[in-house]
Amino acid sequence: MRRVLLLALRDLRLEVRDRSGLLSLLAFFAVMLFVMALALGPEEAPLRRAAPGVLWVALAFMSTLLSSRAFALEVEEGTLDDLLLTPGGKEWIYLGKLLFQLLLLFPLSLLALLVAAGLFYLPLERGLPLLFTLFLGVLGYASVATFYAGLLARLRGREALLPLLLFSLVVPVVLASVRATAGLVEGLPVAEVADWWRLLLVFDVVYVTASALLFPVVLEG
Amino acid sequence: MLKAANPDRPDLLTWVFLALGLALLPVGLYVALSAPPDVNQGYLARIMYLHVPTAWLGYLAFFVTFLYSLLYLFRQDPRYDRVASASAEIGLVFMGLALVTGMLWARPTWGVYWTWEPRLTTTAILFAVYVGYFLLRGAIEDPELRRKAAAAVGVLGFINVPISYMSVKWWRSLHQTQSIDLTTGKIHMAPEMLQALLFNLLVFTLLYLGFVRFRGFLAALEARREEA
Repeated sequence: MRRVLLLALRDLRLEVRDRSGLLSLLAFFAVMLFVMALALGPEEAPLRRAAPGVLWVALAFMSTLLSSRAFALEVEEGTLDDLLLTPGGKEWIYLGKLLFQLLLLFPLSLLALLVAAGLFYLPLERGLPLLFTLFLGVLGYASVATFYAGLLARLRGREALLPLLLFSLVVPVVLASVRATAGLVEGLPVAEVADWWRLLLVFDVVYVTASALLFPVVLEG
Repeated sequence: MLKAANPDRPDLLTWVFLALGLALLPVGLYVALSAPPDVNQGYLARIMYLHVPTAWLGYLAFFVTFLYSLLYLFRQDPRYDRVASASAEIGLVFMGLALVTGMLWARPTWGVYWTWEPRLTTTAILFAVYVGYFLLRGAIEDPELRRKAAAAVGVLGFINVPISYMSVKWWRSLHQTQSIDLTTGKIHMAPEMLQALLFNLLVFTLLYLGFVRFRGFLAALEARREEA
């Protein structure tokens, strides 16, 4: 367990120190939100209707980019083999990488929510449920993104495949997240939104568990 | 389900399944069409004898894909991957049929071909997941990576099957709840209709087994050609 935390914090420190990665992520989603707001605006109603979808597309792209970065540095420096040579099971590598991404993605998604609120007239009264939805959705997306990024890590030039590989598995997560966000924004009672949360929770648990267990198998061989 | 490593033609069991399935298919249709009409839906309910078996077999097929994908990930034998892929393909066909027959049933009973209610939504997502499975297989040229990545989708994507199955119980859905409830073991169907349903289920299962074995055989031939 300690190893998971150590790996995550090390990666976080490296990423924050070399700010180019973070900045490019921020720039990317800022440009995306801006362009979508310009394209769909200027009336309030269409913007508000489109907001959940735009927000989650932006988050999906960010998570995909970040997940390939999580392993790119390891491969460049050749440290992936060092990680693999540590004794014991290898699930902790996956969990460490996942934790690293979550530590970055949660603040970034919060920022994205605020920017979307500004550009898309998204009401933020139900802040806590919105944050909960962000948490569940980001966790679900990042769990499979990390898994596949690890799978592709050693193959040069294969990162372009990552979105294609992810497609099948993240459709339910993104759909449920968008529906939950849209429900909260439209003022639906929490009980109805909770259906989508339950679905997200199931996916999160299954994806994280299965990915952690399968990760050693796909990394070797 | 695994046969000799280098088959030249499909083996006997495959032909038996296919022949028996095809022979019993008209019998199944006859049984379906002579079953009594439903008290609420009248003769419309008869589409159930096609719709339910194809849906179940779709679920079964994806379960087989799940199993063989797991086996491939732990044993690395390409034959497991071939069975997984064959089963996913047949599963996609059966699931597609289930969706189409469902739409044909929905139009006269609900008034619309489609609605975004829990069962239909989760099943459409399930269908999309396995379409993605094949997009993925088509896009990766390196055989080793293709098998591994596809196996991962085969395992991780399977969660959509229980979600689709249980959607009528977990959420308020327009779609009927299960007439044969596998979680409680209760049956909510008249005996004559149950018989017809089970017979057609048998017929479709035989066809599924025959198709999967045949498709696996074709995949083995393809693999041999790739190696050559």
